[in-house]
Amino acid sequence: MSALLQVRALSKLFPAGGGRRLRAVDGVSLELEAGETLALVGESGSGKSTVARCLVRLVEPSGGEVTLDGQSILSLPPKALARQYRRIQMVFQDPNASLNPRMRVREVLEEPLRLHLDLAPPARADRACELIERVGLGVVHLDRYPHELSGGQRQRVGIARAIAVSPDIVILDEPTSSLDVSVRGQILDLLLDLQQRLGLAYLFISHDLQVVRHVADRVAVMYLGVIVEQGPTERVFAEPRHPYTRALLSATPMARWGIARTRLRLVGEITSPIDPPDACRLVGRCPLAQPSCAARRPELIDLGDRHAVACPIATQSPHPGAPLRAANERIPTC
Amino acid sequence: MRAAAVSDALLEIENYSGAFRNEDGGLVPVLHQVSYRLKTGKITAVVGETGSGKSLTALSVLGIQPPTFVRSSGRILFRSVDLLTLDARGLRAIRGSEISMVFQDARAALNPVFTVGRQLADVHRLHHGGSQRAAMKRAVEALSRVSIPEPERRARQYPHEYSGGMAQRAMIAMAALICQPSLLILDEPTTGLDVTIQSDIMELIVELTRSRGLTTCLITHDLGVVAETCDEVVVMNAGRVVETGSAEAIFTRPADPYTQRLLSASQMLEAA
Repeated sequence: MSALLQVRALSKLFPAGGGRRLRAVDGVSLELEAGETLALVGESGSGKSTVARCLVRLVEPSGGEVTLDGQSILSLPPKALARQYRRIQMVFQDPNASLNPRMRVREVLEEPLRLHLDLAPPARADRACELIERVGLGVVHLDRYPHELSGGQRQRVGIARAIAVSPDIVILDEPTSSLDVSVRGQILDLLLDLQQRLGLAYLFISHDLQVVRHVADRVAVMYLGVIVEQGPTERVFAEPRHPYTRALLSATPMARWGIARTRLRLVGEITSPIDPPDACRLVGRCPLAQPSCAARRPELIDLGDRHAVACPIATQSPHPGAPLRAANERIPTC
Repeated sequence: MRAAAVSDALLEIENYSGAFRNEDGGLVPVLHQVSYRLKTGKITAVVGETGSGKSLTALSVLGIQPPTFVRSSGRILFRSVDLLTLDARGLRAIRGSEISMVFQDARAALNPVFTVGRQLADVHRLHHGGSQRAAMKRAVEALSRVSIPEPERRARQYPHEYSGGMAQRAMIAMAALICQPSLLILDEPTTGLDVTIQSDIMELIVELTRSRGLTTCLITHDLGVVAETCDEVVVMNAGRVVETGSAEAIFTRPADPYTQRLLSASQMLEAA
C-alpha cells in the first residue's frame, strides 16, 4: 500500500552569492499516511519549514518527487495542480502575519471556498458559520477583524481556513509557538479533535519536543537539511540513537521538580549550510565522531519498527546509547 | 545599622500599582499591589503569561517603564533606598553599575553600527574609566569568559555577524561582567533561542550568578527553565502576584489555583 503523501529525495537550494549554494533541504524522504501525525522537528536552520513550504509550493523545490495517492504532483500543469492543492492545506506559525488585517474573519474563511470549491454565496455563508463553530468560536466572530481577536482565537481562524476546503493533509508550521502555555494546550486539543472527526493527516513542524511527544505518531528529526533520525514517537523519545537527537532531547528543560539530566553536548553552534562537504553534517560537533564520518554522508540505517538512524557509529553499539551514558546519567523520559 | 540593612533581600517591591494612560486620558489599571523580594545571592524567577505585568514591574525597577505608565502607589527598595524617589541623576548612578538588565532580543539590543567589542569597551569606560585600549582588552576578556570562541576576532565583528545565542552571550558579558552589578535582571533571555543554545545560556547565567555572588532575577514564561535553575519563584497573573515561594514548593505543592493551572498546562504534555 502506498502512503497518502510520499516525498522522495526532496531538495531545495538557494543561491548564496559567488556561485555558492545554500542547501536548505538536501534529500529528504518521508511518507505520511491518512489520519496520522508525522512531526518534523529540528532547530532553526534545520530546513523543516522549507520542507513544508516546498510541499505547498510556496517555494519551488529544486529536486525530488512528491506524490499524492501515487500521483506525482510536482510536474502537473497549473490547473490540475490547483485541484491537488485543495487536498493539502497549511496553518502558519504567526496568525498575525498569515491573516490579512483588512479582511473580516468571514472573508478569510469564504475566500478558499470561492477559489477551490466555487460555492455560491449562500452556501459559503453557511459553511463559514459551520467552520467557525467547529473551531470553538461563535458566529459573532465572523464579523470581526483579526486585530479584534486574541492570539489563540486568531490561530483558530487560521485552522478554520485550512480545513474549509476539506483537505486530506494539513501542514502545521509551528502552530503553537507564538501562544502562551494555557492557550497552547487548548489549540492542541482542538487539533487532535479535528483530526479524529475529519480523518486529517498532519505534518506537524515544531521545535517544541514536549508538544511533539503529545501529538505525533511518528517523528522525523532534521539537522541542516537532512533527516538524521526517524521513528515512532515513543521509540525515538525513549531510545534516541542519533547523537543529534540525543543532544536535542537532553537539552529540553522539564517543568518538574527534581529531574536530573545529563546533557549530551555538541561542540559549538550549528554549522553553515552553504556548500557543506559530502560528509555527516554533525562532523566537528559530534562527541562520537570517527574519521570515517568525514569521508561520506551516512545513509539512514533501518533498525526495524520503522525506526531509522543516519549514524553508523550509534547503530553499531550493542545497547542504545551505551557508550555515552555514565552510570548515573538520566536522559529525561518521564 | 538600621533594621532594613539586615534584610536578606537586595530588592523589595512593595504594593506597586499603576495604570496605562490611554489616548483619551483614561487610566487602565495594569499592576495591582505587586509585592515581591529578591533575596541576596539567589536566582528568583518571575513567571507569568503575556500581559501578566512581569516585564513592566522589572522595567520600573530601572525607571525605564513606558512613558504612558502612571504609578499610583508602591515603593521599590534597593538596599533600603526607594528607587522611585530618585531623580534622573540618582537613577543613572544605579543603572548598569548596581542593577543591570539583559533583554530578550540581544541582536536588537546591540547597536548595529558599532562592533560588539567597541560597545563593550564603551560601557566599560563609562563605568570604570581608563583608556580605550585597556577597555578593549577587558571587552575581549569578558567575551572569552562567556565562552565566545576566538574573542579577539569576534570583538571586531558587528552584531549582524553574531548568531542569536552568541549575541545573548555578549549581552550577558556586558551586563554581568563589564558593568559588575550586584543585581542582574534578565527579561526572557532565552526566548527565541533553540533549546540546545537555551540550555547553554542558562548554565552560563547560573554559573555567573554563583561565581560572582550576583542576585539574579529571571523573567520568563517558561516553567521548564525555572525548575532547573531558580531558587525562588514569583508567579504573576493579570497584574497581580498570585504566589511566591521556593522553587521546590512552587513545583511540588503549588497553592494558588492559577499556579496549579499554569504548571499543569506546562506539564500536561510531558505527562502524556
